[in-house]
Amino acid sequence: MSTKSQYGEVKDDYHKKIMAKSIAILIVCILLTLICLVPIYILIVNSTHASNDLAQNPSRFFFGSHLGDNMKTLMNNLPEDAGKAAKRIAKQYSSTFNVGKGYMNSLIIAGFSTLLTVFFSAMTAYGLTVYDFKLSGPAYTFIIAVMMIPVQVSSAGFVRFMYTLNLINNFIPLIVPAIAAPAVIFFMVSYMKSSFPLEIVEAARIDGCTEFRTFVTIAIPMMGPAIAVQAIFAFVSNWNNYYTQNMILKNADFATVPIMVSKVLAFDKNIDNGVNYLCVTLSILPIVIVYFILSKFIIAGVALGGVKE
Amino acid sequence: MASAAQSRIKSISYAKYGYMFIAPFFLVYCFFQIWPLIYTFILSFKGNQANNEAWVGFDNYSQILFGTGSAAGAAAAHEEFARSLGNTFILWIGNFIPQILLSLLLAVWFTDAKIKLPGKGFFKIVMYMPNIITAASVAALYLNLFGDSKNYFVNSLLIKMGMVTESTTIQFVSGEVASKVMVMFIQTWLWFGNTMIMLMSGIMGINPSLFEAADIDGANSTQQFFKITLPLLQPIMVYTLVTSMIGGLQMFDLPYLFHNGANFSKQLETVAVYIYYNFNKGTVDQASYGYAGAASIIIFIITAILGSITFYMNRDKDAIAKKKQRKKAEKQLKAKMKQGGGFSI
Amino acid sequence: MSKLTRTLALLASIAVVSTAFVACGGGSEDSTSSAAPAADNSSAADSSAADSSADADANADADADADADADADSRDSAATPSGNLGDDDPTLTIVCWTDADLQNMFDVYADHSDATVVYQNCGGNGTEASTQYATYLNSGDDVDLFVAEAGWILNYINDDSMSAPLSDLGLTEADYADAYQYTVDIGTDNNGVLKAASWQAAPGGFAYNTTLAEQYLGVTTPEDMQAKIGSWDDFATTAQELHDASNGAVTMTATLGGLWQAFSTAQSAAWVNGTDIQTDIAREFADMAKDYVDKGYVNPAVEQWTTDWTNVGLNGETLGYFYSTWCLGEAAQLEQNGGTEGNWRIVIGPQEYFWGGSWLCVSPNCNTATEAANFVRSFTVDPDIMKEYVEYSGDFANNKTVMEEEAAGDYTNPLLGDQNQFAILKDVAAGITMSDTISKYDQNLKDTFLKTLKDNIDSDTDTILSTFTSQALADNPDLTAGDGSAAPADDAAAEGEDSAAEGDADAAADGEDSAAE
Repeated sequence: MSTKSQYGEVKDDYHKKIMAKSIAILIVCILLTLICLVPIYILIVNSTHASNDLAQNPSRFFFGSHLGDNMKTLMNNLPEDAGKAAKRIAKQYSSTFNVGKGYMNSLIIAGFSTLLTVFFSAMTAYGLTVYDFKLSGPAYTFIIAVMMIPVQVSSAGFVRFMYTLNLINNFIPLIVPAIAAPAVIFFMVSYMKSSFPLEIVEAARIDGCTEFRTFVTIAIPMMGPAIAVQAIFAFVSNWNNYYTQNMILKNADFATVPIMVSKVLAFDKNIDNGVNYLCVTLSILPIVIVYFILSKFIIAGVALGGVKE
Repeated sequence: MASAAQSRIKSISYAKYGYMFIAPFFLVYCFFQIWPLIYTFILSFKGNQANNEAWVGFDNYSQILFGTGSAAGAAAAHEEFARSLGNTFILWIGNFIPQILLSLLLAVWFTDAKIKLPGKGFFKIVMYMPNIITAASVAALYLNLFGDSKNYFVNSLLIKMGMVTESTTIQFVSGEVASKVMVMFIQTWLWFGNTMIMLMSGIMGINPSLFEAADIDGANSTQQFFKITLPLLQPIMVYTLVTSMIGGLQMFDLPYLFHNGANFSKQLETVAVYIYYNFNKGTVDQASYGYAGAASIIIFIITAILGSITFYMNRDKDAIAKKKQRKKAEKQLKAKMKQGGGFSI
Repeated sequence: MSKLTRTLALLASIAVVSTAFVACGGGSEDSTSSAAPAADNSSAADSSAADSSADADANADADADADADADADSRDSAATPSGNLGDDDPTLTIVCWTDADLQNMFDVYADHSDATVVYQNCGGNGTEASTQYATYLNSGDDVDLFVAEAGWILNYINDDSMSAPLSDLGLTEADYADAYQYTVDIGTDNNGVLKAASWQAAPGGFAYNTTLAEQYLGVTTPEDMQAKIGSWDDFATTAQELHDASNGAVTMTATLGGLWQAFSTAQSAAWVNGTDIQTDIAREFADMAKDYVDKGYVNPAVEQWTTDWTNVGLNGETLGYFYSTWCLGEAAQLEQNGGTEGNWRIVIGPQEYFWGGSWLCVSPNCNTATEAANFVRSFTVDPDIMKEYVEYSGDFANNKTVMEEEAAGDYTNPLLGDQNQFAILKDVAAGITMSDTISKYDQNLKDTFLKTLKDNIDSDTDTILSTFTSQALADNPDLTAGDGSAAPADDAAAEGEDSAAEGDADAAADGEDSAAE
């Protein structure tokens, strides 16, 4: 047997092995993809079925024809001749899961918190990196130290405090604290240290630019990627924040999407399972769609060391 | 540009701007975090229920930590707090281990240049997706699919497949063990994509010549993994461990919402749920502010200890390694943004 | 970068626009129930004797005269708030958990008042509401009236920062002479001040599926059914008969929770005596429940207020439910749980009992006093409106005279095959005395007990009770374990630091021993 053919055999063997491994990995990946997607698919399928049909056969894999009816129930848009029970169900769902209001409230909270978080975190990070002052070292250490404190630790006092300030049922306790986001500052400081040339600040000063203007017009655009990444994370985590919102917002007019979902879960009567599924579907669909549109940035952002909330 | 003396003068004259720039953070942080923390501290030294105005010293701590103290139910209170700590730990360990193993495996596969995997980008995107869904919705989703009885998707399917009968359906929601496994599974489902991508960026930060050299020396992929990838990944693994641990201590939404009937499941009661529940039991003389406060402070101390241990273990290596990875990842991000659009998957 | 910015901006604007769009679509029928242009539109303030006599004409009843007199008296004195509460807001805001429950009242009220009534949902169910109210009521947001359940109302009426006396609305105990006394007792706080009024009395019965009863038990009339389940012994015997005849496919009753309701509330023992948790009734019930579950009379996995609860009725897997009167009206639990065909009947069952009921309480921050007074009076005092409400909703009003009339009248319930549930249940209502047996811990203790029982149904009764007591004490540091019912392991553990671990170990060992025996 010549060396060459031996080598060829080994090579073939090697290729086969790689091939087999790739296929095995592909199968695992497909399985994991299914595990990720099937629950959502089933959720959407079930939201197109009537509650009674689901009671008879809860495991359905294909779309039904009741999406419109469920939607009408959820929107409290039933025909005049609908039964009293159906109307009562519609009333209950529509007033608890007012999908438009939920999105609006969540959007207000998540939107403003995100703006405040990225702006003030960038500002603090700028202050810590650009200026050399006595307390900058201790201040940075402090920020790193408090980064890990879980929100639950101070939540009891936080709610009692908001109560005394008369800020229950108010967006302020959910938006303003977003100014102080230690983890985001930590991220931005390391970003600035690695990729923000301080000479630019000097140059701006020579041009007669005020400090704040330098920050807004020069530094912020240069920190674009870091801000974009942190904005996405801040938005998602604020949109999904159930713990604090649930303690502060007791008025249905201020309810956000997570609160509405939890209330629907808590229903103990007038339950319609098809509409239940529809509520959950509506609560996740927008964010999933936005995610798929922005997925490339988000994935790249996570790789950039996104902060785990 | 400027001499050392000049720049020193400059930096002194600009120092006030430094304070101005960091002032908003510290003002807000003190107002919304530090003061509530002190308030919580105060609450932990006051009584519970009807006794909520009285100072009780360390009574709450001794009750929930050691089962001794003034209340008749001190032992029971201790049992419950201990159980909630135990649950927190079990639920965290039970989701961290499968999560890190799965993520590591996937990260190695996805970064292995030799493996030709079609649709890598798609897989990454889909696997990360659960992470962005509201935990409340995730709980609702799984409750609707995995309910205890034959009236829910999975059990009804199992009955059709003949794996269980109507009276032996799996108690995914109220079963002592099954419900814990469910929460672990869901947590893993939520987080493995995130961890995978972080580990991938870590692996991609490793100098490829190391792998080439190992290839030439005839090391197989298992050896490469254990001799090169794993040791060099250590900093980012520690980072993942710490963030996951902190996240684990905060675990609230899922354990709290994953239940039947009006009240949360005691077998899923984590410390966060314990704090929330004792704090939110109803009117002022119905709630147990003292217990909630004491539990909060205990968690604070635990976090502080965990945090400082990891901080001192990794302060240098960690910072350097992470900076490198970040630079690399940042380049990729910039490149992606230049490609722009991003409307395709 | 600029593309990313543009993409983000585009998405944001799409989101805002679509949200606004959706908001417009759903917003119109927001939780506001402004009174529909009422046909007879007598305004709230002047709905006085003239109005009521007009109604009385319409009803033209033999004994309407006496009623009208009493009615006119109470109205003259009742309609004016004392002035302690604000009265400058035209919108009456009622806080509850799901407005669907109050819908019948709003529908009826729309015929009598032009006022705008808004309901504010706070929590998805009663238990959740009991915890959420505390924050909501003092948040400064508008609240005039709020609804509370028997299980936890005492928390709120005994706290003056949460509730105001009914006298602030101009309503006194004298107005409730015709109400079922227990509703007044519960609505009275520790200082003897009347703080809440109920619009309903809640006697309960056993509703059964006639198709199943005929098929498996050969029972055709409610009288025969009552004869078969007239006592707990008969109930168990019939359950066995049903179990044998149906091969275990049909349970006697849907849930342990319902069984508990019927079994416990008629007993005169309280959950809490002083600060002691009383578990005598719980112990008796645990024994009975374990027996029933062993023999397949009831499926412990089915919980009240869940999809399972509904489905056992819809799918014909249970003979009957223990239902309170508020379950029997149109669109209420009976209908939702499979009673649409009219093949259900109600009987008193093994024991007279009662279940729940809701009260209207006044917030000290009430700023719509006149309208609030009018609303409370309409549904808790005014016999004409209460009568109308009964006929519209099928609910059991909190007025003896009205209910006597309804019981004797020609009211029929199509869901119950044209039975008149009031005729059957009115005497049960008269016998309810739960005033001195309820405590503010009841909701928590009941929920904890039923959950413990369900989760540990295979354990022995002692274990169930000690688990329950331990949990109840952890939840309520104010309470102590009552005599005889205390968990021995806990006492041992509580005595000294060192003995804690030993106590547990001993208890475990004991448990093993007894199991081995």
